[in-house]
Amino acid sequence: MPTPPFSLSPLCQLPVGTTGRVCELTGDESFCQRVREMGFGEAALVTKISGTTTSLCLVNGTRIALNHRAAMSILVEQLPASAR
Amino acid sequence: MKLPAHIALTGRKRPSVAPDRPPVYAIVGNPNCGKTTLFNALTGLRQKVGNYPGVTVEKKIGVTYSQHGRPIEIIDLPGAYSLAARSPDEAVLRDVLLGRRADTPQPDRIICVVDAANLERNLYLVHQILDLGRPVLIALNMMDMAVAAGMKVDATELEAALGVPVIACEAAHGKGLVQLKLALSRVELPLARHRWDVPAPIASAVAELQASLVGSDGRPPLIARAEALLLLTDFDTVRVAGSRPLSARTHETLNQWRQRWAGEGTDWSAVLIRSRYDAIGTLCRDVIRRPRESGPSRSDRIDAVLCHSVWGWAVFALIMGALFFSIFSLAETPMNFIDEHVAALGGWVKAHLAPGDLRDLLSDGIISGVGGVVVFLPQILILFFFVGLLESTGYMARAAFIMDRPMSRVGLNGRSFIPLLGSYACAIPGIMATRTIENAKDRLVTILVAPLMSCSARLPVYLLMIATLLPGTAVAAGKKAFIMLLMYALGTAGAFGFAWLFKRTLFRSAPPHMIMELPPYQPPRFTEILRHMAERAWLFLKNAGTIILAISIVLWFLTSYPKHPSPDATATEQIAHSFAGRAGHLLEPVIKPLGFDWRIGIGLITSFAAREVFVSSMGVIFGVEGTDHDTTPLRDALRAAHWPDGAPLFTPLVCLVLMVYYVFAMQCMSTVAVVKRETNSWRWPLFQIAYMTGTAWLVCFVFYHAGRALGY
Repeated sequence: MPTPPFSLSPLCQLPVGTTGRVCELTGDESFCQRVREMGFGEAALVTKISGTTTSLCLVNGTRIALNHRAAMSILVEQLPASAR
Repeated sequence: MKLPAHIALTGRKRPSVAPDRPPVYAIVGNPNCGKTTLFNALTGLRQKVGNYPGVTVEKKIGVTYSQHGRPIEIIDLPGAYSLAARSPDEAVLRDVLLGRRADTPQPDRIICVVDAANLERNLYLVHQILDLGRPVLIALNMMDMAVAAGMKVDATELEAALGVPVIACEAAHGKGLVQLKLALSRVELPLARHRWDVPAPIASAVAELQASLVGSDGRPPLIARAEALLLLTDFDTVRVAGSRPLSARTHETLNQWRQRWAGEGTDWSAVLIRSRYDAIGTLCRDVIRRPRESGPSRSDRIDAVLCHSVWGWAVFALIMGALFFSIFSLAETPMNFIDEHVAALGGWVKAHLAPGDLRDLLSDGIISGVGGVVVFLPQILILFFFVGLLESTGYMARAAFIMDRPMSRVGLNGRSFIPLLGSYACAIPGIMATRTIENAKDRLVTILVAPLMSCSARLPVYLLMIATLLPGTAVAAGKKAFIMLLMYALGTAGAFGFAWLFKRTLFRSAPPHMIMELPPYQPPRFTEILRHMAERAWLFLKNAGTIILAISIVLWFLTSYPKHPSPDATATEQIAHSFAGRAGHLLEPVIKPLGFDWRIGIGLITSFAAREVFVSSMGVIFGVEGTDHDTTPLRDALRAAHWPDGAPLFTPLVCLVLMVYYVFAMQCMSTVAVVKRETNSWRWPLFQIAYMTGTAWLVCFVFYHAGRALGY
């Protein structure tokens, strides 16, 4: 069953092949700032390419690798296929 | 008609550079956007490039010439995503641009290299740099990658929007360089006309702090504004090494605003970043045309396999297996060729020169010593060829990605694996590469364990011991490769084990976050790889012709003098009587429990200069011990060596123990010097020598006695 819209989940739980919107960053200040500076901040669209513990994502055409702790700190809402 | 900015002078102008000195340009940009490739293309230098972030960790200076033949100084700086430095390499960029480095002139002009395929993110740093008020040129690099991704990036529109020259180029293919040089040659460059309004709630704080930085810290107004923005929105930024302390007034102003904002509970840092990205989004609206629908790219399809939780590991193991197998199978012919010629040269010297010290020095000292090391050149070149392939294709970053999981088990993250992987070639660039690690404790742990990764200098020792252990061509290359793979695995396991220990004792800290960009795959750049191999070959031969030659001559002297009182003394008796023999005998009680005798002890002492010196030392010692016309390969001489009671010295067990010793022992003066420089203290290199060599002794002791107990 697809995840209902607007429910937040950590990025590591976003299914492979789906797209989500970054809604909240929960890591320490320094991490949040770096993530935002890399264009991965709130409202950015992110597509999961692979991984559950270590995640590989596509953000703005760039492949970004995140470890589990980093992916746990990024909360996303999964977008329905039609909204991508 | 409106002319492009690099033809017509538009916007505000700044005074031109003083005519009595060459203008200084800094090349800046995000990691892996082609800065060093552009630097090499402009200056004709050959700085190392690679398809992974963090290749350049220190500034490099070169010179190019304008269209009128006037010299232009170019500074290549490490990549960064932002002026808010998080790691030592990013701090180099920030401090040079802000004029904080005493050893580097503040650049007159800045070349911002941006990746056309990833323009918005690259423009974030450009946006911060425009705040500095310096003339800026934008090199819109990797246009071919943007086209391949189906994007259209309009350089003219970007130039019109920013008001600074924008040159579309492909530095890797030499395209756009003439236009870039023409732009560099201009006497004056316009200042950006792009205006960005700091969000209103921050503006008053910026103004107050800017005034303090100008008045009390002596900063120029525009630099002060840029620094005020950094200080207010990124409180950690000044704590990175190299910054001058702030004046009391600035410090107080900063603290007041910090407390006020903390009370309000608003994340102004996030607001500021969003505000910049909004401005960039508006700028790029007419600059970028993206394809309507795009499927997975070639890199995505490759990543689906190489970054897969199962297939990724299988490919990684296959690559490593292929590397070690190639070292034995492909190198055999050239190695035999060199070996035969070294032996023939030694034989010729022995046959044509009259017996005496000169003949012995040439044949037993120089030819045995230097020749014994040079014979391993083919294997070292194969190792660097593989490392070059991994670096240029983009696999290096993928290896870090798949290694993140085991790295996180020991308290580090995948980012630490790039320096460790680089240390397979040489620990020195590996240790330098730790500058990209943000967390200071993680960086220090990575520095401390990096020399445990088996470097190319250990290769001659391993190969000599494997050849002694498994002589002849009848033994399959796979078997030899397997032993070699075991040694590399042992070193890697040692590095992980000590990282785990250090992270739980000396350097306790929370497991780090890792966020890392993976570059698109690129076909290997064979010219670059071959050039790098040639440089390494030259370095290796230069080392053999200088350090190893010098040590071989000195060691020959130390093994030949003082002369034994009896003219009928055997070669072994002569060495035992010599200075080196006496030193070796002093050491023997310490190393005898490991199965080593005093002659191996001499090799252990001399190879502290560099590990490969062990091979040349064995060449000198066992060359001296050989008969007058003996020019047999070193491995055969080692197999013939005996203890005084007639028992063989280099038993299979001793060969393995010796390899294990070199896996763990800290036997490299250059690495010690680099660790001292990188940690700015003698404490850590001395600690490193103690823990690594202590571990080597302990592991060898256990291994040797366990082997003996099992009947080996």
